[in-house]
Amino acid sequence: MELFNENSKLAFVIHKDHSLLPVINRLGIKLGFGDKTIRNICEENQIDLNFFVETINVFHYEAYFPEKRLLDFSISMVIEYLIKTHQYYKDYLIPENDRLIELFLSASPDENTENELVRKFYAKFKEEFVIHINFEEREMFPFILELNAVVENPEKRAQFTKKYPSFSIESFEKEHSNMDDKMDDLKNIIIKYLPPNYDQNRGNAFLANLFLFEKDLKNHSRIEDHILMPKVKQLEILLANNE
Amino acid sequence: MNSIHNISIVVISQSDVVLTGLFEILKSSMASEVILLHRGDELIDYPALNGHIIIIATSEEQEKSGSFMRQILTSTQNIHFITLQLHPDSVYSNRTINLFDTPTLICYKVNEIVNSFLSDQSKDTDTELTKREIEVLQLLTKGYSNKEIADQLFVSTHTVISHRKNISEKTGIKSASGLTMYAILKKIIDVSDINQDELI
Repeated sequence: MELFNENSKLAFVIHKDHSLLPVINRLGIKLGFGDKTIRNICEENQIDLNFFVETINVFHYEAYFPEKRLLDFSISMVIEYLIKTHQYYKDYLIPENDRLIELFLSASPDENTENELVRKFYAKFKEEFVIHINFEEREMFPFILELNAVVENPEKRAQFTKKYPSFSIESFEKEHSNMDDKMDDLKNIIIKYLPPNYDQNRGNAFLANLFLFEKDLKNHSRIEDHILMPKVKQLEILLANNE
Repeated sequence: MNSIHNISIVVISQSDVVLTGLFEILKSSMASEVILLHRGDELIDYPALNGHIIIIATSEEQEKSGSFMRQILTSTQNIHFITLQLHPDSVYSNRTINLFDTPTLICYKVNEIVNSFLSDQSKDTDTELTKREIEVLQLLTKGYSNKEIADQLFVSTHTVISHRKNISEKTGIKSASGLTMYAILKKIIDVSDINQDELI
């Protein structure tokens, strides 16, 4: 498996791995870039070149995880990327899932209990998922950004301690595996157990989208667990030492 | 990736070249996941690892952190060490992997071990649930906690947890609501038995 670098032409990168399409969008790039290299494109769009290259490589190649280098990126840049990923889930992947599951379940000759149950299971999974990402955006990311600000500027300390009296990132860390489990369960239920009295093509389309979602989510969790969390723990130690 | 067999390979080496190479080779093995570590003690970041584990490491690394790794891997069923040899002239054995082995041979050796795990597994368990597991599943779908199920069946909570683990291994379904779906689809329970809004 090859890795990409700043001199790779972005068109070549996409031909090699089209699952990177939403990733480059998230990083601020739209299609139509001709033969420009990653370096050209990042300069034009004022995107951090190293962050761009590392992010697409992490996504492209699952064994690639340059922790040390990734830990150099600014926390706000990582969070901005994570929020854009959430947006992609909320604006596109989830609605697309909704549409495909309806198509597939409503294509059965007669409404049956089994399909109704799958619909409920999916609805519950979606609800929990949205609560999870909203929680990260409303509670966890702001906490991290403020923590970062306090480490950079100790004057804000009193205010921070007042707002988060006994807070640590440990209290936020949870539940990723829970989401993964439910997603797996949904796939297994359809693949292994649901009576196949539905249109197979539509069932396949729904599953394909679910697999896509899973891959994206896995990378997302990797970035949160292996870049964001270690960085935050570093910050907390710094803060504790300054006391 | 989501194999119900749940076999993980942990490769430990200080060299990224070795790690990446073995990852590429072992991707096509029958294991469900390949984890790459620089040192044995990094395994502490994987507390939830369960099922069968194959650890590939040099004999030095095994001596250094072997017992520590065993301590961490408490929820695993089976741990198998394969010694990683770095010199071309070492003695051939199917309990070792030599860096100069061909990729096919490396994969073959690992799959032999994976197969031995699988046949162990199918000796005492099939994918069919046992009568006891069905009882646990039925109570689970009614929303009872592990403790409550244990009390009703006159067994320990520990036993209930182990039944739940086996149910998930056999069905491929982990969450409580997923298992409820499974039980309905398999006609182990009836839809009317459960509170759908709470349990699914």
